[in-house]
Amino acid sequence: MSAHNLVAAGGRKRGWGATLLILSVVAYVVLLLVAPIASIVRGALQDGFPALLTALQKPTLWESFGLSVKIAFAVIVIQLLLGSATAWVIVRHNFRGKGLFNGVIDIPFAISPVVVGYMLLLAFGRSGFLYPAVKALDIQVAFAVPGIFLATLFVSLPFMIRELIPVIENLDRVQELAATTMGAGRWTTFWRIIFPPLRTALVYGVALTMARAMGEFGAVLVIGGGVQGRTATTTMYIFHALEERQYVEAYAAAIILAFVSVLIVSFADWIRHRSTAQ
Amino acid sequence: MNASKSLVLAAFVSLNLGACGTGGSPTDPANFRLVLAANTTPREAFSEIIPLFQLQWLEQTGQTVAFEESYQGSGAQSRAVVEGFEADIVVLSLEADLARVVDSGLITHDWKAVGANGMMSNSVVAFAVRAGNPLGINDWADLAREDVEVLTPNPSTSGGAMWNMLALYGAALRGHVDSIPADDPVAAKEFLKLVLRNVTVMDDSARDSITNYEQGVGDVALTYENEVVIGWGAGYDYELVIPSSTILIENPVAVVDEYVDEHGTREVAEAFVEFLFTREVQEILARHGLRSVNPDVAASNSGQYAEVQDLFTIEFFGGWAQAREEIFGEEGIFSTAILEVQGGE
Amino acid sequence: MEATAPARLLKRERRPHLGLRTTSLAYILVLVIIPVAIIFQDGFREGAAEFWHQVTLPVAAHSIGLTLWTSALMTLLNGVMGLATTFVLVRYEFFGKKLLNSIIDLPLAIPTLVTGVMLVILYGPQQALGQFLQERFGFQVIFAPPGIIIALLFITFPFVVRTIQPVLLELDRQQELAAATLGASGFTIFRRIIFPALALPTLSGSLLAFARAVGEFGAIVIVAGNIPLRSQTAAVYVFGAVESENRLAASAISIVLITISLAIILVTNYALQGRNDVRT
Repeated sequence: MSAHNLVAAGGRKRGWGATLLILSVVAYVVLLLVAPIASIVRGALQDGFPALLTALQKPTLWESFGLSVKIAFAVIVIQLLLGSATAWVIVRHNFRGKGLFNGVIDIPFAISPVVVGYMLLLAFGRSGFLYPAVKALDIQVAFAVPGIFLATLFVSLPFMIRELIPVIENLDRVQELAATTMGAGRWTTFWRIIFPPLRTALVYGVALTMARAMGEFGAVLVIGGGVQGRTATTTMYIFHALEERQYVEAYAAAIILAFVSVLIVSFADWIRHRSTAQ
Repeated sequence: MNASKSLVLAAFVSLNLGACGTGGSPTDPANFRLVLAANTTPREAFSEIIPLFQLQWLEQTGQTVAFEESYQGSGAQSRAVVEGFEADIVVLSLEADLARVVDSGLITHDWKAVGANGMMSNSVVAFAVRAGNPLGINDWADLAREDVEVLTPNPSTSGGAMWNMLALYGAALRGHVDSIPADDPVAAKEFLKLVLRNVTVMDDSARDSITNYEQGVGDVALTYENEVVIGWGAGYDYELVIPSSTILIENPVAVVDEYVDEHGTREVAEAFVEFLFTREVQEILARHGLRSVNPDVAASNSGQYAEVQDLFTIEFFGGWAQAREEIFGEEGIFSTAILEVQGGE
Repeated sequence: MEATAPARLLKRERRPHLGLRTTSLAYILVLVIIPVAIIFQDGFREGAAEFWHQVTLPVAAHSIGLTLWTSALMTLLNGVMGLATTFVLVRYEFFGKKLLNSIIDLPLAIPTLVTGVMLVILYGPQQALGQFLQERFGFQVIFAPPGIIIALLFITFPFVVRTIQPVLLELDRQQELAAATLGASGFTIFRRIIFPALALPTLSGSLLAFARAVGEFGAIVIVAGNIPLRSQTAAVYVFGAVESENRLAASAISIVLITISLAIILVTNYALQGRNDVRT
């Protein structure tokens, strides 16, 4: 009878083996994931709910949040345009070194954020080879927002591309060919044939990129400068709040960050379910 | 291709509106913007000092000054300034970190000629112990006991960590550690190793170290005297123990010539640094637990500070350049001690 | 008409899309390849001998070792529990299943810094749980390798589950049904039919988790203790080197980290590719 447990799920009577497995998994997830998250919520409420409300109203918190969002948006714009182009090229084009090109996309995923910040420092720091160039343009990259932007762009690079590739691979080329044969211009073909199936993947890619971008810490710590207000993203706000013994503020900001990220990804999930249901 | 390129440019430009390194952008209401790069310790003191200066400057010149402050471990901060963090003023934990900025060519004036030899404040290396001192930690020798867990920051990033190690090693060399003979570098290093064995966490900065201690980690934290005072101000209940022999921590401050000239903020910046040496500010610093460099202020606050039996300075090690090489260099005493302690638990 | 339309298509496809290719190549070149090249160049700036010297310095070597074994142990645990979790999620119905499914992705939404803080709050020595573990079992969680492993488990948990899930969902049940009809026990079915099909996604999800874990910084710097030669991982070592202007050390160890993670990812991609090619 235990074979049935494995093969046919749903509603049937389960053997004790299956129940044990379910219980162990649930226990593991509760211990590993739920307990720490609960402890942060507890920490945020340690001085009572009014204190939490006060902390949530601090302008510096929302300023840092605004900066995180702004940077994330800028990153999303670039990833949407250039990331989509890259995904398209990887699927539809054939050229020498394409396999390597494909592998290179995953590099940002493999690099420690500290190293990312360091690479940017090597390039844009005072002794970096790009320093004279940006100095001439009167742009500050290291220890300023552009540096944080570049670091965030780097670490979130793979997400959009990896979301798009499988969808582009599954595109029905017959439709595209048909449209072109009937005289549709490139833009029309793109907008009416290619784009619609990609929509969901794009939304998901945007969501993942945004969550990743807003949560970046290590690289920002190295390249950011830690100036309260100017280069303080939400993660840096949390870091500074911890240093200033403002624990409720730190935990409150952490909860907001987590909440927003979860919201974004859930929204994307919902869209995906809606489109597959249709 | 053109559309995406112009979008990139637009993104860059819009982000730069807030990131120009000039003294004041058109959208900025203040006449001047001063960027202060400091170590973590004087954070609370500056939250009082800066508004006072802004008021004073306004009264004197009718101009407004906006401040942007950054607080990090002293080593990390000086490194950032050297690498391009355009700070107008630096306040650091130790002279060696300031020397790094000087060596990079960013500071060209004689900063020691300003104020009290360029030092904004003093403190001493001390111990923070739990209320009631349950483990009876009273001097250096107690740190080497088997049942004691020690917190001290990482010398790579934290200036405070370097002061701690120098105080420890110096006290041993000077014969103020029980059972360690004076002027015996080998014995002193053995003592250092014993204490290092007891270290449980090495945080990035002096501040991170003491806040970790406040969360209940460790039995004793090696720290600045004034960090303990600030902790008291934040409501934490731990005790301060001044060892029999310790090092005088001297915190330098300086205007960064290259950046103030670029930003056009030299006059304001220099005024601010001078302001730091006035009696008013020194009193504020004293309130935050720092020992004043102003002899009058120090005298009037003397009741606040325990007298140190044997107080020595960096000169005991022949100055910072020598200390950095001999103690923290690749073959230095601390570096090799860490290696030899390896294995731990 | 039919002869010219495809020809027209071919011509159109070839010319303008070159612009697209150039754009994306330039994008990747500028953003990814050049920065990595900079680090490699900096690490070998004083020759291979000096590079090797930096890598074999006791503190550096130990940090790399600590990173590797904690990540490896974590990966093993994650592989097993990830597989179990996915299996339970896909094959069984139970109370709270939907909630479980949404919780799994939470680590992706939480910044690593916060993860570290959460774990210190939960398992730190000042907490009842931490003290209990320490006094009763001499087992230190925070500021010791177990803390590192737990943090890494938290952060990489979704990777394994989400890699196995689609494969398990699409698994053809015919074989299992046939085996059940023939009298095979549940365990045998799992061992001989289900697991072999899931082996590759489990492995690739685990390897992904490993590559991710090797570079982890934010959580570890809070949780680990960071004592050289005892509880300092490679990423934290690099951070210290960067902050103390020890550029050679920073670049050299960065290169090691990048190489390890990248090798793993490339191998995983290649293995997956090979499988896809065989299937199609």
